[in-house]
Amino acid sequence: MCGLNGIFAYHPAAGAPKESELLATRDAMQARGPDGSGAWWTEDRRCGLGHRRLAILDLSDRASQPMTSADGSLVVAFNGEIYNFPDLRAELEAQGVQFYTTCDTEALLHLYARDGAAMVGQLRGMFAFAIWDSRRRGLFLARDSYGIKPLYTADDGWTFRFASQVKALIAGGHVSRDPEPAGIVGYHLFGSVPEPFTLHREVRALPAGHTQWVDAGGPREPKPFVSIAALLAEGARQPSPAADLPHRVRAGVLDSVRAHLLADVEVGVFLSAGVDSGAMLGLMRDAGQRDIRAITLGFAEFRGSAEDEVPLATRVARHYAAGHIVRTVSEREFRQDLPAILDAMDQPSIDGVNTWFVAKAAKEAGLKVALSGLGGDELLAGYPSFVDIPRWKRRYGPFAAIPGLGWAVRRAIRALAPGMVRSRPKGLGLLEHSDTWAGAYLLRRGLFLPAELTQILDAEIAREGLRRLQLKRRLNANLLPDPGSDVARVCALESAFYMQNQLLRDADWAGMAHGLEIRVPLVDTRLLQTMAPVMGTLVPGAGKAALAKAPATPLPAEIVNRAKTGFTVPTGAWMANVAGSPAGTVTAKSKGLVSRNWSHVVLSALTSPRIAAPLQ
Amino acid sequence: MSMLALATDAFGGKGGIAQYNRDFFGALAASGSLSSIVVVPRHADDAPDVPAGIEQRPPRAGRLSYVLAALRETLARPCDVVFCGHLYMAPLALLLARLRRAKLVIQMHGIEAWQRPSTLRRQAVEAADLVLCVSRHTRAAVLGWASIVPERVIVVPDTVSDTFTPGDGSALRTAWGLQGKKVLLTVGRTSAAERYKGHDRVIQALPRLVAQGHDAVYVVLGDGDDRERLAALAAREGVADRARFMGAVNFETLANAYRMADVFVMPSTGEGFGIVFLEAMASGTPVIGLAVAGASDALADGELGVATTEAEFCIELEGALSRPKPDAKALAAALKRRFGYNQFRTRAAVALNRLMEPA
Repeated sequence: MCGLNGIFAYHPAAGAPKESELLATRDAMQARGPDGSGAWWTEDRRCGLGHRRLAILDLSDRASQPMTSADGSLVVAFNGEIYNFPDLRAELEAQGVQFYTTCDTEALLHLYARDGAAMVGQLRGMFAFAIWDSRRRGLFLARDSYGIKPLYTADDGWTFRFASQVKALIAGGHVSRDPEPAGIVGYHLFGSVPEPFTLHREVRALPAGHTQWVDAGGPREPKPFVSIAALLAEGARQPSPAADLPHRVRAGVLDSVRAHLLADVEVGVFLSAGVDSGAMLGLMRDAGQRDIRAITLGFAEFRGSAEDEVPLATRVARHYAAGHIVRTVSEREFRQDLPAILDAMDQPSIDGVNTWFVAKAAKEAGLKVALSGLGGDELLAGYPSFVDIPRWKRRYGPFAAIPGLGWAVRRAIRALAPGMVRSRPKGLGLLEHSDTWAGAYLLRRGLFLPAELTQILDAEIAREGLRRLQLKRRLNANLLPDPGSDVARVCALESAFYMQNQLLRDADWAGMAHGLEIRVPLVDTRLLQTMAPVMGTLVPGAGKAALAKAPATPLPAEIVNRAKTGFTVPTGAWMANVAGSPAGTVTAKSKGLVSRNWSHVVLSALTSPRIAAPLQ
Repeated sequence: MSMLALATDAFGGKGGIAQYNRDFFGALAASGSLSSIVVVPRHADDAPDVPAGIEQRPPRAGRLSYVLAALRETLARPCDVVFCGHLYMAPLALLLARLRRAKLVIQMHGIEAWQRPSTLRRQAVEAADLVLCVSRHTRAAVLGWASIVPERVIVVPDTVSDTFTPGDGSALRTAWGLQGKKVLLTVGRTSAAERYKGHDRVIQALPRLVAQGHDAVYVVLGDGDDRERLAALAAREGVADRARFMGAVNFETLANAYRMADVFVMPSTGEGFGIVFLEAMASGTPVIGLAVAGASDALADGELGVATTEAEFCIELEGALSRPKPDAKALAAALKRRFGYNQFRTRAAVALNRLMEPA
């Protein structure tokens, strides 16, 4: 985990960028890179790159960034890890390339020198980087296929700026804070801001799996180099029988875990009582890591209850002979940390509190890198959405396809039984939205439905935001080309939307705040390629069962039998208390409504920091 | 590659938009990348001077006859690019571009783009391959109401003619009886519809400048229906003898007025760009304006001219009058590095190249 940023005054009318701005943006990301910092300028000072380093591969100063190629023609600033770096290095050295460091950053320079923009096809890992190409006098930006690492850009028409964080770009003082209605509306609908939007109109995310070129002609439209849908579609064209599933899970996940252990520092693991994290631990052992420390969150409120993950996690840790760190978190600590949590949150999110605490525990344990089971539900059809979305589409889709029917029913119920509209807002949406994959997904993941927005937002912002968001078109774009099966379609939607906008962003800001690199072996394009041919055969539970058996010593049976909970924290109640809902009233049914209140609290705090004060 | 340009006016037209269009079409013709440029204007003088490589059709003031003429031109010849010189023609331009499967370029100037346009116009902009804006402010405004990929909206700033250069303006100073005075100059219409230009602010600042010991005179060039009101304001402020409304002048007088002025001042809140700032600086005269809307661009965020706020305006104006006039040639050279015609030509070529790049 590092932070990168840059300023390029590409237009002749623009003034030369200021060193103070470059450093202000860079140092707003201090937490991302506590181990060192650097800045670099072109000779004419029209382009500057900044970097903050969290040293993980090649801890020496020779690997500091921005890093310049031996001939001085290329300069790179990079955040992430290239897990196939050893292979790439061997390949390049065989071709006569000389390496001066043992750091993956250097491979980026050599690959770009050899392949130009096509280099991104060679990379396995999580990455966001910028390369200054002095021969072509331009900047090349790239972001990994899942969007694990963030990269935000801002162009005012004269000067192009980029950084790993939205707040860092704003901190530079020259990026407009004007609001982006699509970002605000998207956040209210989903609880996270859907890319490429942010809360600010001028700031956009470089989309996952895209590159961008900027030269004297200004920034060009980002170009895709890979998509999850395309990888799934490719697998669907060469389907494998269901019997292949265990083998593919075992081989694919072990290969990914092994690749994700590449580091010159200790790699730990987040451990819950679920299958995903337990399998990570077991496969770390299979991949040959001897000493492993696993971190589990515990909660006093849950002690002795079925929700307490600690006893089962302890059992798994013992099962694989791992050192086990149990960190107990209380509501009091949550309230104490809340201002820091909201401060670290780059864009508003209704989640991430759990990741905040487990990352905090990892840092307390002295870890810089930890594996997480994030992505298992997307890859192995672990969410209820894999059942619900296809079913809703089948069952209610034909009615929703009748123009005006859903609207008319909603109006009628609002008139006859207004209480039902308030208590079951999404149920009524089935007749309006379930005719498309995008609509059914919106029903599954949305906190609110578009028709409700005018009740909570200024009508103009709601209308304008929905128009700019183009939600269904955007969601459906994640299904092109067609992934080939219901499971693969939901996988593509969940991976490219919920996982990318919510889970991966939360893992980034919450990990970053503690100088911790969170690695996600289940979010890996090579693993996805291995799994894609059997995606169509996945039935509920089969994927997780195969994952539980993937380690040479399979997970204990009670882990597999227990319903998956992941790293649950009693945040429902905590958030409800902060959001002003009566304590003790949080039930499973009202969780959605609590999220709605909580989303208001977070947005208020992020758009007007003073509002956070009464929370303490 | 051939281009059809829909324009309010270009060759044989008056005002900033006509000037911009002439500059832009001239730069494209000089680039040699286009095999033909056909301009269909709504207004033009009888026998305009059109440079080689550009054809301008007779003006069509009537809406229907304009649409028919544009349609006829589109169908009569190959057309790869439709250039739309004003937002209000954008729906027509989109229709023509679609008819010929041509690329669509829409030019935005200033105030017309600052408010949300009609749905048809907005949709035409959203369908454009490239939107050119004269300033960053206009670009931000367009991106505020149009749902369009931001990379398709680029800035091609106004430029300044090479005929504005530093030089000796003392003869005009003598002719107008301004020897020994501190001369403030504004060039711009004195029109009730354009009070945002800020003549009032300068007149109201005069008494204070005089009280501070500046023997200041305010010269206003440009005509308009607000002139009498401004003169009355000057009288009320007790500076009637220090406000000189000289009306519209010929080019030579204009060029010398820029040269002889001590400070060019235009505290405007509504400039799409403010080309007069460039003309003054190209003539070697320091400028002061407000960091509002497109003027921030012409003043280069305060790096070329003073870009201040309404609250600080009087203090900054006093400061500008107190400083010795800067090296005229150095100022003109700095201006041309950012906004010279060579830069403009490069930006026009960039726009054209952007259009032709593979997606």
